[in-house]
Amino acid sequence: MTARRFWRRNGATGWALTAPATLAVVAFLIVPIGAVIAGTFMDPRGVFAPYISYFNSGFRTTVLFRTLQISAFTTVISLIFGFMTAYVVSRAPGKVKSLLIVAAVFPLLTGVVVRAFAWLIILGRNGILNQALLALGIVNEPLEMLYTQGAVIVGMVYLFVPLMVLSLVGVLENIPKDVLQASSSLGASPMATFWQVLLPLAVPGLIVGAVLVFTGSFTAYATPQLLGGERQTVLATLLQQRAMVSFDWVGASTIAAIMTVITISIVLAMSHVARRINPMAT
Amino acid sequence: MSDRPHPLLIVIAALVYLFLMVPLVIVVGAALSDTTYLTFPPQGLSLRWFENIFQISAFRRTIVTSLQIAFLGTLIALLIGIPAAYALNRFRVELPKWLGTLFLLPILVPEIVFGFALLKSLTVGTGAPIFLALLIGHTLIVLPYVVRVISASLASFDFSIEEAAISLGSAPVKTFFTIVLPNVRGGVIAAFILAFITSLNDVSVSLFLTGPGISTLPIQILAHVEQFFDPTVASVSVLLMVLTVAVMAIVERTLGLTFLAK
Amino acid sequence: MTQPLHIEAVSAHYGTTRVLEDLSLSVQAGELVSLLGASGCGKTTTLRLIAGFLSPTSGSITLGGRDLTRLPTHKRDIGLVFQNYALFPHLSVLDNVAFGLKQRGIAADERRRRAMAMLDRVGLSVLADRAPGALSGGQKQRVALARALVIEPPLLMFDEPLSNLDAKLRVDMRVEIRQLQRANGTTSVYVTHDQEEAFSISDRVAIMNAGRLMQFDRPEVLYRRPANTFVARFVGFENVIPFQVVARDGDMVTAETAGMRLGLSQSLYGTIPDAFLLATRPDGLTVSSDAAADGLPARLGLRTYLGRAYQYQCETAAGHLVANGSLTAPLQAGARVKLVPVPEQCTILAAGGDE
Repeated sequence: MTARRFWRRNGATGWALTAPATLAVVAFLIVPIGAVIAGTFMDPRGVFAPYISYFNSGFRTTVLFRTLQISAFTTVISLIFGFMTAYVVSRAPGKVKSLLIVAAVFPLLTGVVVRAFAWLIILGRNGILNQALLALGIVNEPLEMLYTQGAVIVGMVYLFVPLMVLSLVGVLENIPKDVLQASSSLGASPMATFWQVLLPLAVPGLIVGAVLVFTGSFTAYATPQLLGGERQTVLATLLQQRAMVSFDWVGASTIAAIMTVITISIVLAMSHVARRINPMAT
Repeated sequence: MSDRPHPLLIVIAALVYLFLMVPLVIVVGAALSDTTYLTFPPQGLSLRWFENIFQISAFRRTIVTSLQIAFLGTLIALLIGIPAAYALNRFRVELPKWLGTLFLLPILVPEIVFGFALLKSLTVGTGAPIFLALLIGHTLIVLPYVVRVISASLASFDFSIEEAAISLGSAPVKTFFTIVLPNVRGGVIAAFILAFITSLNDVSVSLFLTGPGISTLPIQILAHVEQFFDPTVASVSVLLMVLTVAVMAIVERTLGLTFLAK
Repeated sequence: MTQPLHIEAVSAHYGTTRVLEDLSLSVQAGELVSLLGASGCGKTTTLRLIAGFLSPTSGSITLGGRDLTRLPTHKRDIGLVFQNYALFPHLSVLDNVAFGLKQRGIAADERRRRAMAMLDRVGLSVLADRAPGALSGGQKQRVALARALVIEPPLLMFDEPLSNLDAKLRVDMRVEIRQLQRANGTTSVYVTHDQEEAFSISDRVAIMNAGRLMQFDRPEVLYRRPANTFVARFVGFENVIPFQVVARDGDMVTAETAGMRLGLSQSLYGTIPDAFLLATRPDGLTVSSDAAADGLPARLGLRTYLGRAYQYQCETAAGHLVANGSLTAPLQAGARVKLVPVPEQCTILAAGGDE
């Protein structure tokens, strides 16, 4: 009888079971981050003073736009190559498919520092790529590839393509086979089926993937730090410098607030869009 | 079958995979080099850089710290995450929808912001020990993985089995451990592994939560790379990769790797 | 527009397992043929081969003289109605129906006109602008039907189109499908595992088992004169009793089985071989408590109530049989009775069957 009472579906048990995790998130994540953001509005110089001074600094606005630019390039490149690769993987026969999935999971489980470090060896002044180019006589002196925006983007694409491939394989496999077969039975060529059926049905998944990559690269630290250095300072590396090198807590908090607001708004806006255009929902 | 992709697409996919694999191969090659600088292909095979890892006390210390934090953080996350995931599925109707989103917040907000906020409020604000702050930070960033993976396996769990057990006279708490948990064992293992690896690889949160004598391996690697350009870091990387391969092999044995692709 | 379909000596494999063995089948122009059988019998494989989702390992498929065997699906010009409807979730009902016309390069105005006319025929023109997700199962299947019919294909195929609908709707829809098919005179192949559905809708039915064609004939013939024990049991001849001919006298043949002699007329059954099987449905055996009756001695087992009759499980020297008895005189388990075959409800099968 106690059993019955204990499991009565009033939700109290549910609340009790989720309480520890809820408390942890609220106390150690929401409150601290809330405090950081709230703190930026309590500046003695005025409510928006930290933001005014942020956007008055040419360097800092450059950093913001550079970060947005790098994230945008990374997203578009990962999206295009990720989609093409995912398409091939999803059409591969069983054994090959699992092998390809494993090959995408492995880099994903390898740390970001290791993966950025690999590109350090490749792109360095005495790196493999320069050695190869010199040996082939394509260039006469080593190219400066490291600490450029290109290097950061390559490193970021390297970071996010596996994620994109895996999430898009899932999306493509969720599209029912018979819908594609219906398309070809009605006379649509493989190209027409791709553009008129497959792609429209994959759009919600593409949006989710794009959001993952954009927010991920927008807030990435290790890759721009190693491959971009001070010349390619982005918001994350700027935040670290302000906090740990200059001890400029207000400046760091302002950057943190800007990053949080941009990230959360993109996630919310895009998940709203994806839900609205999701034809599979009903 | 007539739905084979266009040859050009296959070529592009092959190139993408080459792009994914080559840098990792290069790291392995560089780690095995006998030279004092980073190079590929390796010149003279040697394991001396692997020995060197353990010569440097900072690496020895941070490896231990990283493993401790990853293990303890994952354990605590499982302890608070499993009941939460269970409740989210079992009391789906009674609990509000936003509660599920709440547990995903640690991966929705920028990690680096989270790390900074913990530094500001916990370490500086309350003077909490760095190790504790590090542990709290890691517990929270792996919590979303735990809740999601275990929720996914509970989603396919038929709760009428649980009701059947209770109707046969099994006490609810005992039923959870004898009926529910064994049926989502795969999810728990996967969650543990995913969380452990995530914690082990984390940079952004640990970045702010280091201090005199306490740091994690990825932060130590970053610091080392910025000062020295020798193959030590390559061999540490290989060590981490070997660990990853070992973990993937365990997952493959127990669950099949496609599980992680979800 | 209506064309005959010929499947000739087609075999198919999934990996190394053979799923279809040397199948030959011809569907006449304008005819509706059902492929009927349990899952795994090869009926869906046959449909997928005709549609081009699978390639046969040998044999050929021709439609009105066009060889389809190596043609990709989108060039086959076949209307296909799927089990799960397979409507395009991102297109409106109207655009779903117009999809095939668009692939055929028909101008937008004309597309719209024809698609609307087709929707009108299936009674759904008011839903033209809806998303398919918002429709009921029956409406979805009507849209799928309209989408397949509007391209006026020389061949229409149905893959268990009604199996996701409830019983009442299933009966209404099959009448509707048959009427549309008749009106258009489109050659059709209809795959189902539901015997009643197949028999009610088809001109001819192909009964399949384990990748082979067991019998291909009109429903009336299949129902009354199955060609072998598989088909006999499939269409409900639950009792199969082995007999041996002991005497022949012109048209009349005398045969016996354990504990019973029976006179049979060859004018009713055709030539009767020396060893044969007598097959009946439960209705084809009369339960008689008259000890002197000329029938198979039996001991009654469990009695169940069917509404129109009582059904008895019976133990006989010829094995376990099932017979129906009258509602007016229910008999008790354990009663000793005679089972008397009703000649018009029996059929003769060659012994040494194919099971």
